[in-house]
Amino acid sequence: MSKKNGKSLYLVALALFLGGVGYLVFSGFSQNSVYFLNVSEALAMPSEKLQSIRMFGTVATQGIAKLDDGPGVRFLLEDKDNPGQTVRVMYRGAVPDTFKEGVEVIVEGGMPQGGAAAEFRAKTLMTKCPSKYEKENRKG
Amino acid sequence: MHLSAYLLLVASLLFALFFAGAAAAQLWQGRSTALPWIEKAHLMLTGFMTLSSVVLLHALVNFDFSLVYVASYTDRALPLFYRMTAFWAGQAGSMLFWGWSVALFGVIFALTGGYRELSPQTKLWYWLFFLSVMAFFLLILTAWSNPFLTAAPAPADGNGLNPLLQNPGMIFHPPLLFLGYGGFAIPGCLALAQAMSNGYGREGAWAGISRPFTLTAWLFLTAGIVLGGWWSYMELGWGGYWAWDPVENASLIPWLVSTAFLHTSVIESRRGKLHRVNILLMALTTISAFFATYLVRSGVVDSLHAFGDGGVGRPLLIFILASTALTVAVTLIWRKDDAKPLSGIDSREGFLVLVAWVLLALSAIILVATMWPVFSKFWVEKPMGLEPAFYNRVCLPLFAGIAVLLSICPWLGWKGGVRSMPKLLAVLGVMAAVTAMTWYTYRMPMAALGAGAGAACVAGIIILLTTEAHVRRNNASLAAHGVHLGLALMVLGVAFSGPYKLEQEVEIPRDATVKLGKYDLRYVNLYEGEGAGYIFIEAELNVTREGAPVGVLSPQRRLYAKFDRQAYAEAATIFGLGDELYATLLGVDAEGAATLKISVNPLVNWVWIGGTLMCIAPFLGLRRPSSSRDEDDDTGDGQEA
Repeated sequence: MSKKNGKSLYLVALALFLGGVGYLVFSGFSQNSVYFLNVSEALAMPSEKLQSIRMFGTVATQGIAKLDDGPGVRFLLEDKDNPGQTVRVMYRGAVPDTFKEGVEVIVEGGMPQGGAAAEFRAKTLMTKCPSKYEKENRKG
Repeated sequence: MHLSAYLLLVASLLFALFFAGAAAAQLWQGRSTALPWIEKAHLMLTGFMTLSSVVLLHALVNFDFSLVYVASYTDRALPLFYRMTAFWAGQAGSMLFWGWSVALFGVIFALTGGYRELSPQTKLWYWLFFLSVMAFFLLILTAWSNPFLTAAPAPADGNGLNPLLQNPGMIFHPPLLFLGYGGFAIPGCLALAQAMSNGYGREGAWAGISRPFTLTAWLFLTAGIVLGGWWSYMELGWGGYWAWDPVENASLIPWLVSTAFLHTSVIESRRGKLHRVNILLMALTTISAFFATYLVRSGVVDSLHAFGDGGVGRPLLIFILASTALTVAVTLIWRKDDAKPLSGIDSREGFLVLVAWVLLALSAIILVATMWPVFSKFWVEKPMGLEPAFYNRVCLPLFAGIAVLLSICPWLGWKGGVRSMPKLLAVLGVMAAVTAMTWYTYRMPMAALGAGAGAACVAGIIILLTTEAHVRRNNASLAAHGVHLGLALMVLGVAFSGPYKLEQEVEIPRDATVKLGKYDLRYVNLYEGEGAGYIFIEAELNVTREGAPVGVLSPQRRLYAKFDRQAYAEAATIFGLGDELYATLLGVDAEGAATLKISVNPLVNWVWIGGTLMCIAPFLGLRRPSSSRDEDDDTGDGQEA
C-alpha cells in the first residue's frame, strides 16, 4: 500500500469514528441531560420544565413520614443556603441507611403538572456520603 | 513537635523551590556542576517529608487529639489498624500521603540505572520539572491543607472514622489511587525533560527508562478503581459497582489516558514512531491525575461524595492549566525529523492507534460530561447535567469496540496482512456465534456485541498462548496478554451482570417465599446479636433453585455505637461463578416482617476476577526489556498485541 493511500485511510477512519462518536454523544445529550438544581432554583422555574430533574438539598427536621403502604418516605427538602425554601418530596422505594433529618440528599424525578402545592415524585433518593468531611469540620 | 513537623514541610518547600531554581540557572548557564547537590536536596526533602509523615502517624496511633486532623478522623474506640489508615481519611492527610509517595518514587528512580545513563542536561530538566511538582504539593500542604493544625484545648475524644470506611476494601482504595497518580509523575516529568534537552538518540529513550514506573502506577490505579467498585458492591448495599458518579469518573480519566499511552508507546519502542504523541499523552496522564483530585476536592461538581471545598480547588486548577499549557508548548516546539510514517490502518500499528483513539475519545467524553453542570451554565440559565444513562449509552459501545479491536489485533502483522487466517477466522467465528446467541436470547444488541467480543478475546488469547511458543517465553508479551485476558473477562462480566441482572425490593412476613428468576428465597428467621462496636439484626433466607438447595443468605443491619440513629446494611451474597445471589436487609417492622433488596447477578464475579488479573499480570512485564527495538519482523512478537 502506498504511503499516501495509507494516510488517507487513517483520515477516513478518523472521520467515521468521530462521526459515530459524535452521533452517540449527540443522542446522549439530547435524551439524557437533565437540570441539576438546588431547591431554590427549582422553585424559581415553571413546573413544566421540572419533568425530569436532579435536585440537591437538605432534609428538613420537620415532616418526615414513612409511607403506609410499602417502603418509602415523604419529607420536606430545604434549600442548602435558604432553609426557608422547601419542596415536598415523595419517594417510593428503599430508603438509604444514612437518610435522616439534616443530611444532604440528591433526588431524581419530576414535579407533577399543576398547582403550587404539588409534591415532587422522586424516582431515586441518594444521600451524600455521610458526615465527617471538610465542610463540617470547618464549621466545628 | 507538631510545629516542627510543619516546619519540616516548610523547609521541604524551600528546598524544592531553591533547587528547582538552581536547575533552571544551570541550564541557562549551560553547566551541570550543581547536579549532585540537586540530587542530594531531593533526598533531604524526602527525608523531611518522611519525618513529618511519621509524626502524623505517631499522633494518629497515640490518640493525640490536639491535632485537628487526628480528632476529626479517629476516636478512642478505633482499632490500631484503622487509626493508622486514618492517615489518608481526610484531605490534608491524603495530600501528604500523595506528595510523600511521589517523593519516594523520585528517590527510587534516581537510584535506577536508567536514570544514571541520562545526560546531565536531561537530568537537570527532569529535576526542574519534578521539583516544581514537589513544590506545588508542599505549597498546598503548608498553605491550604495543613495536616498539623492544632486545637487548644485538645478534645477528650475524636469524632471517629466513618463506619463505611471501616472496611478493608475501602481502606486500601484511596492509597492505591494516590500511588497510581503519584507514580505517573516520574514518566511525565522525564518525557518533558528529554524533549527539552533534545536527548533522543543520544541516551536511552524516556518511555523505556520510566516504563517500570508507568506500569507500576498503572497497576496501582487499576487496583484502586477495581477495589472501589468491589467495595461499593459489597459494602454500600445498593447492589451495583459503578454509578458514573463524578468521583468515579475522575479516577477513570487518568486510567484511560495512561492506557492510551501504553498502546502508543508500544509503537514508539518497537517501531520508532509517534514520539510526539507519546510525550503529550504521558504528560496529560500526569496532569489528569491532578485534575481527578481537583474534581474530587474542589466541590466544582455536586457529587454523591460530598468532600466539600477544602480550599485547594483554585490552586489545583491554576497548576493544571499552567502545566497543560507547558505540555502543549513543549510538544509543539519539539520536533524529531527522522520519524517514520505509520503503517496502514489494517496493521497491528493501525489497530494500536485505533485503540488509543477510542480510549482518548472515552476520556474526553467522560471529562466533558462530568463537567457539564459547569460548562452548561455558560449558555443555559440553570446547570444541566447528565444521567448515568448517558454514560451507558455512549461509553459502553466504545468499550465493546475496544474488545472487538482487541480480539482481531493479535492476528495482524505489524506492517499489515493477516498472520494466521484460520486462527483469525476461528476468533471471529466465536464472536459471531456468542453475539448471535445472546442477541437471540435477550435482544440487546450492544450487550450481545460486548459478550461476543469478550468471548472472542478470551478464545483468541487461549489460542495464542497454546499455539505460539515464543509468546509464552516472552515475559513482556505474557504480561500484556494477561492484562488483556483480564479485560476480556471483565467485559464479559459487565456485559452479563449489567443488563441481565434481576432485582426486586420486597416486604415479606416470616416464612414467606419470594421468587426471583429461577430462585426461591424463603425468609425463615430473624436474629439479634452484637459485634465489635456495633449491634445487629440479621435475617436468614434459605435459597433454593427449582427445589434444590443453593445456600443461606444472612444480610444484617448494624447500629454502630459512635454513629447512633444511623443503621448500616451489611449485604450478604452466595458466591457463584455463574449467578451470584445478593441480599440487603433494609428494615424490619414490629411483627418481624422484613424489607429486603434481593438480586441475582449473572457472571458478576468475573468482573473481580478479570480486574484482579489486570492488576497482577503487569508484574511480569515490570523489568525493562534488554533489547528495545526490533525493526522489521512479525515473528518473535514482544510487548503488547
